[in-house]
Amino acid sequence: MKNETNPNPSVLQSFYYSIANCTLEVQSDTEIDLDSLLPSFRDFRTDASQVQSSISNVLITKERFDKPSTGAKLLSDISIVWGNRFKFFEMSDEYVTTIMSAHSPGTWFMTSKKDFSQSTIHWVYDSVAPKEIVSWLLMVTFAQSALLHKTILIHASVIERGTEGYAFLGKSGTGKSTHSNLWLEHIPGSKLLNDDNPAVKIEEDGTVRIYGTPWSGKTPCYRNVSADLRAIVRLKQAPHNKMSWQSGQFAFIALLPSCSALRWNQDLFASMADLVEHIVSNVPIGELECLPNADAAYLSASEIKNA
Amino acid sequence: MKLRKELKLRQIGKDYIIVEPGQDKVDLSKVYTLNETAAWLWEALHPQEFTKEEMVEKLLEEYEVSEEQASKDVQKLLDIFESQKLLDENYK
Repeated sequence: MKNETNPNPSVLQSFYYSIANCTLEVQSDTEIDLDSLLPSFRDFRTDASQVQSSISNVLITKERFDKPSTGAKLLSDISIVWGNRFKFFEMSDEYVTTIMSAHSPGTWFMTSKKDFSQSTIHWVYDSVAPKEIVSWLLMVTFAQSALLHKTILIHASVIERGTEGYAFLGKSGTGKSTHSNLWLEHIPGSKLLNDDNPAVKIEEDGTVRIYGTPWSGKTPCYRNVSADLRAIVRLKQAPHNKMSWQSGQFAFIALLPSCSALRWNQDLFASMADLVEHIVSNVPIGELECLPNADAAYLSASEIKNA
Repeated sequence: MKLRKELKLRQIGKDYIIVEPGQDKVDLSKVYTLNETAAWLWEALHPQEFTKEEMVEKLLEEYEVSEEQASKDVQKLLDIFESQKLLDENYK
């Protein structure tokens, strides 16, 4: 635990996490130990002295959320992860993300500035599985604030091989993890970089890299590593194995649905579209119709090698 | 008339597209594709105010086409802009 000189005396802990070279600052005025609360973040901890500027600051507070909900506009209540426990509101100067606690009366609230440079998470003490909720709320904040720093969180399973990384996209249940597992089993030198939420960053020199993050879906693979992004492949279940490379609008449309930007925020959405445009212009984008078998992995490996 | 300011024409490879984020609870974001002429016109008009006559004039300056044909094509394009709500509601 660190006690930096802090303008807010009630803050007990202040941790910095470097994810895809973007720093997320997490502060807390609770007694909860952040390291044990956020085990998947441990590999991403960084020293305050290493930090030049943070893309976002998140305060986890024991203070109750007591703002009136008048004037709040419900933007979404659809979530694959939380089902009907999730709601997302817009207010005049901030967004409010809420998750109903499972099996207990409390509701988690996160308020965020419109550019997500600052969020406040209101801790629910008797909540079941607070780790998952806090980690997910941090992901929401990171995913949006990173967009203004040439970094985009995508929904993908990623294989690392040597210095290269390959991202497999697909709707939930398509078999992204299955396809990565086939690589691990059949393609020598393959390692899993991340299984659900890697970050893609456009570096200063315009090259595109893919980074591990503290979020990886159901597979605990929270590696603070990166690779040169050499291919992005959208998977589709089919009775056969067939790869086709995409260009122009089709490449754009293949990647767009796997990227997360608030559709209601013009600035964030425009940043995301700019990043997607750059990525599809610089990284081969393919579509793989595939079976869950070894041949699918052999085919995608050889196609990517020649791409 | 005026094209919606926040919509940005993008060239990706040989294609011209406009992405429109869906605003409903269910994500119905749209990607429009434009042919080269429509894209050229879009860039020439965006984001100023314009009239149908100005569109026809611009077309005639740039392309070898009869005034009658240009007028027809512009009307077709405007009908699409209108039906897809790509025009700014405040400038009608």
